[in-house]
Amino acid sequence: MRRRGFLTALLAGAMAPRLSWADVGSPAVLGAAREAGGGYALFGIGADGTDRFRIPLPARGHAAAAHPTAPEAVAFARSPGSFAVVLNCVTGAVLARLEAPEGRHFYGHGTFIAGGEILCTSENDFATGQGRMGLWSRGLGWRRVGEIPTHGIGPHEIRRMAGDVLVAANGGYRSHPAQPGVKLDLDRMRPNLAYVSADGALLEKVELADDLRPNSIRHIALGRDGLVGFGMQWQGDPAEGVPLLGLHRRGAAPVLDRMPVHEARAMAGYVGSVAFDAAGDQVAISSPRGGRVQVFDDTGRHLQAILREDVCGIAAVAGGGFLLSDGLGGLMRADGQIRPLAKRPGRAWDHHLVPVSA
Amino acid sequence: MRLALLLAFLPLPALAGVAEAVDDQILPATERFAASAGALAGAAAADCTAPALRPAYQDTFDAWMGMSHLTFGPLERDGRALTIEFWPDPRGRVARTVRGLASEADPVVGDAAGFAQVSIAGRGLMALEQLLYDEELSGYGAGDYPCRYATAIARDLAAMAEAVQAEWQDHSRLMLSAGEPGNPRYLAESEASQALYTALLGGLEFDADQRLGRPLGSFDKPRPRLAEARRSDRPLRNISLSLAALRDLAVALSDAPIPATQAAFEAAQATAGALDDPRLAGVADPAGRLKVEILQQQIRAISDAIEAEIGGALGLTAGFNSQDGD
Repeated sequence: MRRRGFLTALLAGAMAPRLSWADVGSPAVLGAAREAGGGYALFGIGADGTDRFRIPLPARGHAAAAHPTAPEAVAFARSPGSFAVVLNCVTGAVLARLEAPEGRHFYGHGTFIAGGEILCTSENDFATGQGRMGLWSRGLGWRRVGEIPTHGIGPHEIRRMAGDVLVAANGGYRSHPAQPGVKLDLDRMRPNLAYVSADGALLEKVELADDLRPNSIRHIALGRDGLVGFGMQWQGDPAEGVPLLGLHRRGAAPVLDRMPVHEARAMAGYVGSVAFDAAGDQVAISSPRGGRVQVFDDTGRHLQAILREDVCGIAAVAGGGFLLSDGLGGLMRADGQIRPLAKRPGRAWDHHLVPVSA
Repeated sequence: MRLALLLAFLPLPALAGVAEAVDDQILPATERFAASAGALAGAAAADCTAPALRPAYQDTFDAWMGMSHLTFGPLERDGRALTIEFWPDPRGRVARTVRGLASEADPVVGDAAGFAQVSIAGRGLMALEQLLYDEELSGYGAGDYPCRYATAIARDLAAMAEAVQAEWQDHSRLMLSAGEPGNPRYLAESEASQALYTALLGGLEFDADQRLGRPLGSFDKPRPRLAEARRSDRPLRNISLSLAALRDLAVALSDAPIPATQAAFEAAQATAGALDDPRLAGVADPAGRLKVEILQQQIRAISDAIEAEIGGALGLTAGFNSQDGD
């Protein structure tokens, strides 16, 4: 309490120090949750599963974007949300409220480029269905300074790669805020993975074979040496047991996972999150609908299924393995074995665990 | 005041019903399945021709319906549930795999360890159904390849059923010690009843959306040939047996009377009992279709009653993330 008051006073003064993630307890990841009382909050979580900070949120969040150095987080409303909040994780103060411009809504993910000066947000131009990335300047008080195309329909997660190349998962089908939760034009869907320069030029576009058109590309993780892992959501019959993880490196053909058919079917056609481990040797996908996480090597060879009801959040942890979160309040460490780290009854962890880089 | 005192002595809601569900529903069902599958293997050893094996196949499938909803725990290991029954099968993998093995007379059926590595679409009850009921395949003689193949499936099923039964003994202890330090699977007391509750609702959803929904297809395109185990006349029987097992689980799981849930189960069972359409072939004509749709709605109404009567009382809900797409 006293420390928080002191910091607030400091921040209010002219001599505000340059704060870092260490000032909020060096969280390994950020995660949003519903709490026992029914409210929502954003948490900083240590690699050991302990809470490092807690900031109340106005509504259910989807994902967050962590600033690369400053302890600031952008929390997105669930799609089709029209707002996001920028939070000072030290004080809990709302630094800015980002409103999607007329004719746009957020898809729930974002990432920073330009050393943390520019926030990119995945958006829908819902009159045309074209995907957009909104650009917001931190230095200019989080003002919107432009937008660039994602070169596809229905973008979801976007990530920054080396050289501020942005990689976007274009889900391939349209949606409209007037019909929340409804997937439009599924029979014409055409997902892709697009590499886009910061000025909006298309550098490379990856599409899968025609029989995998119904596989919506939605989540992205970055591995070693430019390897991109993408998690998919199958809009066809879940009993077909199709691949749900793709691996791609620029200039090469995408590689699909090789899951045993029973594991593929148990995923219920749905991937909620994807993450590489810290070394980039392994990549994992989660399915809350199937209650399991599948772990692969970096060539898509299946290594392990981890069973856990309503599991969804995955993030790398230093020292190897993954941190997992579930809707029952559980946080687990998975490194060959699965070990519970914390169980907070009444807390339901939401879809994503977002790594903090510092 | 008195009520508060009374409530203080009631068992913790989170613990309710787990022991009862394990003792009254789950363990007896795993024993019955192991016994039936063992008898199937015994029958195959004596006479593996199709007419001789059909009764034991039917018994084993009956027993399987008592536990096919237990998709957590021992059945989710190594894909056992799908290996025991590869269904739904929208791409026709079972028929393709069975015909492939039969046309090559693959010697793998002579070796139990090797057979356990065969594609799961070529093992289990649905593969056996092909051999025992398909018009082209089922006429084999005692010395023919399909006879040895059927024997291999029966032995493999018996081995899986025995392993599942044994592992359920251990898994039930894990459930009953939910939330205790060192329990790697159930991190809180409530997680054991949550797993049962999820299995209960998942079983009803499977009955409505898969067992009935697949043959129903759409009004313009009914798919009667997609009904579960149609060749062996089991589509409606599987629904009735599954509902009976799920009802036992619901009763065990709740520590209070559940009249609305019971009534909903009875209504669905009555409709199923009056249907007189074992293969659900009626989905292809408007009148028959309506009856199957009514049954489907009644099964969904059971879920609603359970969510109100059991979920509410135990503080359980369907999954936070699994119900929310993005």
